[in-house]
Amino acid sequence: MKSRRIYLALLAFFFFGIAVFGGVLTTQEKKRQQEKLVNEGNYLASLISLHPIADFTGEKGNYILRTIREYIAPGGLAYCIIHGRSGEVLASFGGRDLVSGIPGEVRTRSLYTPGLTTQAFSVGDTGLRIQEFSKPIYENGQRSGTVRLGFNLPAPSLLSPERVELLGIVAFFIFTISLVIYYTVTLALRRLNHLSLSMRTSLLESDPVKMPSGKGARIDYVIRDFEQSLRLLKERISEIETSNMELETRAGVTAFYENQITNILDSMKLGIIILDSQDNIMNINVYMLALINGKREDMLDRPIGEVLGHEDVLAFLARCEGEGKAVGGGSVETTFPDVVPGHIFQVSSSALKDGDGSVIGRMLLVDDITNEKLAERAQQEFVAHVTHELYTPLTTIKSYNEMLMAGEVRDDETQKEFFNTIMDETDRLQRLIENLLNISKIEMGGLTLNRDLVRSDWLVNDCLAAVETAARKKRITIEKALPDNYPSLYGDKDLLKVAIINLLGNAVKYTPEAGKVSFGLSDDGDAAVFEVADTGYGIREEDLPHIFDKFYRSEDPRVKEQTGSGLGLGITSEIIHLHGGEIGVRSEPGRGAHFSVRIPKEDYQIG
Amino acid sequence: MADGKRVLVIDDEGPIRRVIEMKFKNRGYQVMTATNGEEGLGLIREHRPDVVITDIMMPKLDGKSLCEQTEGLKEERSFLTIVITCRISPEERSWTGRMRDTVLMEKPFSPSRLLERVEQYFGGDAC
Repeated sequence: MKSRRIYLALLAFFFFGIAVFGGVLTTQEKKRQQEKLVNEGNYLASLISLHPIADFTGEKGNYILRTIREYIAPGGLAYCIIHGRSGEVLASFGGRDLVSGIPGEVRTRSLYTPGLTTQAFSVGDTGLRIQEFSKPIYENGQRSGTVRLGFNLPAPSLLSPERVELLGIVAFFIFTISLVIYYTVTLALRRLNHLSLSMRTSLLESDPVKMPSGKGARIDYVIRDFEQSLRLLKERISEIETSNMELETRAGVTAFYENQITNILDSMKLGIIILDSQDNIMNINVYMLALINGKREDMLDRPIGEVLGHEDVLAFLARCEGEGKAVGGGSVETTFPDVVPGHIFQVSSSALKDGDGSVIGRMLLVDDITNEKLAERAQQEFVAHVTHELYTPLTTIKSYNEMLMAGEVRDDETQKEFFNTIMDETDRLQRLIENLLNISKIEMGGLTLNRDLVRSDWLVNDCLAAVETAARKKRITIEKALPDNYPSLYGDKDLLKVAIINLLGNAVKYTPEAGKVSFGLSDDGDAAVFEVADTGYGIREEDLPHIFDKFYRSEDPRVKEQTGSGLGLGITSEIIHLHGGEIGVRSEPGRGAHFSVRIPKEDYQIG
Repeated sequence: MADGKRVLVIDDEGPIRRVIEMKFKNRGYQVMTATNGEEGLGLIREHRPDVVITDIMMPKLDGKSLCEQTEGLKEERSFLTIVITCRISPEERSWTGRMRDTVLMEKPFSPSRLLERVEQYFGGDAC
């Protein structure tokens, strides 16, 4: 519908143009005809008026008029009348036919030519229109008559051949101009439409809800869409500016959080590497950088395979990927010997997920587990030692018993030796079991004292008796320094016995054959002081701070070659402390060890 | 009888050395003893015993190291090694499989069972 309106408007413009141009042409033609008529009238009237009035009477007058008539185009001159001085008609032609319609007098209108006047009129019902020119005839300075010339005015014709021809040319030009305008406008519209479509597409991509309808390449639609698009564009720009401000704010907040995260990661006492889904390093903390002697700026945003030259870690990553388990992908133990020799690290991996649970990367944790490994090894060694310590006397007891029962030990002396050995090993087993029970109680926090008055002389005798056999086997002399008055103690006799026997047992164990062990008890007023000294190879300086730790066994090969559970001194220390006492040790390499135990005493003394 | 076959007992525990020594001597074996791995290795190199009975946890040189060091000697003339241990772990079993003529025996062992195991090795000829 609307395209038809456009065409109608163009058509109206076309005809309006022709009409205006036709009107202009008509006016111009009329003006030109009028000028021509005035010129002709003036010329002819002036020419005639030069003749003396007498020339217009008789045959000469008719001749002159005939000549004029021939000279003038036949359709041009309607009449010619020569008036005498008093207005009488001296000569005329054509006037008779028109006489009734010709005005009697000339109501002149000056035409600026001297004496020339004109008037126009219609002749009755003939439809003729006459333009009359009149000029006076002067002789000897006296007006002698008047010449009147009537020219036929041509009937007004819109469709004269000249006019049609001209209008045709004009129409052609207008048509051509219209076409040019049409195609120029169409071309411009296409561009506008294209622009509008582009804008619409852009707006569609950014905000489909506010998409303009887009009805085609028509100028009104295009302009409307264009305006709508511009409006939406402005809105969009405004929204984008707002969004930009929000984004800038968020970017600031994000940067702040990133810094915080980096600070938190850097404060962790384990190595952390955060990887994206392509295994590029997104973050790495200072602990990890120290382990690999790296710089953060050299590592960030680069594939871990290129920048981390640690085969174990890379192999672990590849294994996790191969097994498709970024989460709980197991772990691997490794070392960084160049930086921290002797330390053991555990490398593990965990997945990083976004809000909807998709894996977006993973985090590698590198934890120093040296202490755990040492503890684990100590635990394993402890179990192995205890097992050995338990099974060894058990084996002796069982095998000796088997030999006795099988009758393979025939002579009395050997039988006695076997029974004694069974007894010794049973005691050994019992002590070990007691130690294990005690350490178990200590571990559980359940070691309690059954306090009672303890006679220290009995305690000393029991302890010496317990190690007597072992000492005798190694031909070790035990030198005793005992008081005349034994101090009384208030404590747990059995546990005190365990503590002292452990000290004495160790002294015998670590003293070479035929060596000497000293055992003393003294009263320093407030406490009973037990002292045990051996003549072994002493305790290494690095072991001294740890010898009272539970399960601790020295790496000293001279210690390791001795059987032992690593329990004795730990239990002893615990028992002494439970009694409110103190235990101390001093040792010089090659000159044995000296242990002293102070236990607060009671007032009661045995005589 | 044992035709004077030589048995070396290596253990840091005197009572255990004593009972094994007695058991095998009663059956006609020649018995040597050592109190640690190092001493035992010296005796093996010097006397080339037919049977070595060794504890696994010993001072100076443990039972495993001793076995590994005597593998070369067995190429020339093999001998039975019985390693006495507390609890046989899968690792120990696997290790034993790689050693020539080596068997494990758990504590607490029976001297009779130990003797049987040795005599099985000699195909009953030793009895």
